[in-house]
Amino acid sequence: MPKMGEDLHQYLRQQMMPTVWCPGCGHGNIARAIATALEHLGTDLGQVAILGGIGCSGRTPFYFNTNAMHTTHGRVLAFATGLKLANPRLTVITAMGDGDALAIGAGHFIHAARRNIDLTVILYNNSIYGMTGGQQAPTTPFNFRSTTSPFGNIEPTFDTVDLALAAGATYVARTTTFDFAEMPEYILGAIRHPGFAVVEILSQCPTYFGRLNKLGDPPDMLEYERNHTIVADEESVISRDELLGNLPVGVFRQEIRPEYTHQYADLCQARGGAYRA
Amino acid sequence: MRLVQGNEAVVLGALAGGCNFYAGYPITPATEIMEQMARVLPARGGVFIQMEDELAALGAVIGAAWGGMRAMTATSGPGFSLMQEHIGYAAMTQTPCVIVDSQRVGPSTGQPTMPAQGDVMQARWGSHGDRPAIVVTASSVKDAYQMTQLSFEWADTYRLPVIVLLDAVLSHMRENVELPPAPPPFSRTLSPDVDVEKPFGNHPFVPFAETTRTIVTGLAHDETGATRGTVGHASEKIIRDAFNRLNHDYAAITQYREYRLEDAAWAVVSYGITARAARAAVDILRGEGMRVGLLELISLWPFPEPTVQSLARQVQGILMPELNLGQLILPLRAAVEGICPVAGLGRADGELFTPEEIANAMTSHSTHAERRVSHHA
Amino acid sequence: MHEVFQKPDPLRIRLSGRGGQGIILSGVIIAQAAMNGGQFVVHTQSYGPEARLGASKSEVVISQREIAFPEVVLADILLCLSLDAFHKYGTQVASHGLSVVDDLVPIERPREGQIVLPLRRTARELGNELTANIVGIGTVIALAEIVEIAHVRQAIKEWVKPEFHMINLQAFDRGLQLGGRFRVSA
Repeated sequence: MPKMGEDLHQYLRQQMMPTVWCPGCGHGNIARAIATALEHLGTDLGQVAILGGIGCSGRTPFYFNTNAMHTTHGRVLAFATGLKLANPRLTVITAMGDGDALAIGAGHFIHAARRNIDLTVILYNNSIYGMTGGQQAPTTPFNFRSTTSPFGNIEPTFDTVDLALAAGATYVARTTTFDFAEMPEYILGAIRHPGFAVVEILSQCPTYFGRLNKLGDPPDMLEYERNHTIVADEESVISRDELLGNLPVGVFRQEIRPEYTHQYADLCQARGGAYRA
Repeated sequence: MRLVQGNEAVVLGALAGGCNFYAGYPITPATEIMEQMARVLPARGGVFIQMEDELAALGAVIGAAWGGMRAMTATSGPGFSLMQEHIGYAAMTQTPCVIVDSQRVGPSTGQPTMPAQGDVMQARWGSHGDRPAIVVTASSVKDAYQMTQLSFEWADTYRLPVIVLLDAVLSHMRENVELPPAPPPFSRTLSPDVDVEKPFGNHPFVPFAETTRTIVTGLAHDETGATRGTVGHASEKIIRDAFNRLNHDYAAITQYREYRLEDAAWAVVSYGITARAARAAVDILRGEGMRVGLLELISLWPFPEPTVQSLARQVQGILMPELNLGQLILPLRAAVEGICPVAGLGRADGELFTPEEIANAMTSHSTHAERRVSHHA
Repeated sequence: MHEVFQKPDPLRIRLSGRGGQGIILSGVIIAQAAMNGGQFVVHTQSYGPEARLGASKSEVVISQREIAFPEVVLADILLCLSLDAFHKYGTQVASHGLSVVDDLVPIERPREGQIVLPLRRTARELGNELTANIVGIGTVIALAEIVEIAHVRQAIKEWVKPEFHMINLQAFDRGLQLGGRFRVSA
């Protein structure tokens, strides 16, 4: 089990500190969990690339001492797919927001999952658009408020785990910023997994989501995360009543299926080409 | 000697230019480029992938470029419109890549199988903000090969997306051409003396490597990639420098072809597939005794101002036929204003101009221009 | 009976019909045959938004010199395999031009220079109506000698899948016979 609290500075790009994230934002906790996972991974940082989209989560690549791309809104997985195919030995990690992955980038998200290409998605879900000032996301819960649903949201939400599972992702997990031990563990599991891996992390946005919905201070929001999630992964047995109103967390799928760069390498080999995954 | 289709020539030219990565999305009339890439790249150890849309295709191309590959995509109008976002990203991040756009009639779905030249402005000005651009076109299968090959070189040298404009006729047209065999697969060798601390600005393109810690971002940044501090000024300087490099190398980038211009008193300035009808029109008019010639533009952007200005000083009038309702005539008029009159001939109905139509327009332009001159006298 | 066709330079050929009738392939074969004979060629093709079943046309320009304008306005030779193609292109023929029209296309009365021949029916007899295009090429070449017969045979082998070489070469020969009957030797 990865430990926290060790010296993680070597993984961070010091000249980019401090981050743009608001005081009390959960994204810093996620970044720390990524650093912890990298420490346990032990791979030379020259062999790692971190890519992000647009939004609060999209700033993640700036803060790590790796090659990095801060790409366009929703489309980081397209860039990541090209980079991974060009250099299959590279460990490619992407940071996506909930609007990034499930609204503007939903098409890219499901197709990258379908290909089962060896990429890691860390999906920072704060239930709202933070960077632009608190607008409704496809993850904003029913009846919750945002600046573009001032009278309460009337739309159903996307469930990242259901979507990732249905689209063909081969490692699918969800946790929260409250679960400080599980975060790095799941991220490490996702990076080590040889296929398309998604870790959704519910993260608190005290500045917009918390304030607009009167959820209190950041510690109250962490408490809220704990009280509205339930461990319900592939090994747990829980009742329908227990699940009601709660979001299941845990590792929901971890299986080996043919991976895209390896499939492509096989195709090249059959044609006499020298591509190696 | 082989009978080669325009789209096939793009593939062969790309391989000659070192292309080893293709990402695309099917669209008429560019699809054959993608189909043939799917056949040839695996055997060469290159990468082919069909993406979920054109935005993803160009995104993958940019990612692959940073992964060290020579990458391209091809599309047509609707897909080219979608790609504008990532053309801007490639420009902002100084990422070498090649985009082929086989033009069809627009706007929107338009006439998918019919030729047009309505993307010449979008190729230059598409995507928000200011960006330097190299845009080339072709009027023959051989040109399609050569300009695609050259585009990869320029993309690397000038670190920008180079756009190759074809049209629905040229894409599907076959001609007998003699082409050299494809060279061995490309592999990028990194110069050991590159400054990995300065991956942007007036420095060579260095893809991700063990020793680099590059941050590629579409945010305004300085030559180190940093986005903080007085970055607006630094970012503007990077873009200005890129414009200046194109200006400095204007003569090397500018490609054109002259036909019967030596003693011409009148000129047709044309480009792409339309230039072929214009060449035939010049022959018709010469047969009728008119001293007329053709300037065929092959590189469209940077717009060859000095070239058209010196032509304008030689002739009494210029006609520009193009398969749109008046696009490239705008920079032409701006360049030769006050030197000689320019008339346009445009259509966007999916048909080519015939040589006779261009000849008639040239005759009519010369008559009117002469009348204008005598009025002034 | 048709008089010997005087071959202009450039020579402009238009092949027309519906998508799926092999119109584009026929143009490619003629272009390849002309190229095999050392001539300059340009082949263009055009079809509707749908690749199949819409109107389809394929044009070949052949010359001793480099070819400027790649398309055909008035054809010196027209091959026509469908009614909509006939409506569209039947009159787009140069004076002294030659048209070969399939006899299943219901046209009222052939005008001068129009020859109606059983292209599709001959192809059916051979067991594959899809070879009507090649029967058509045979008739046109017998009538107008636009390219060498040997070069066409070679071109068929270059562009048709090996398993279909035999039937297409047969279709070509039948076309040559059909066209030859209408030809007056000079």
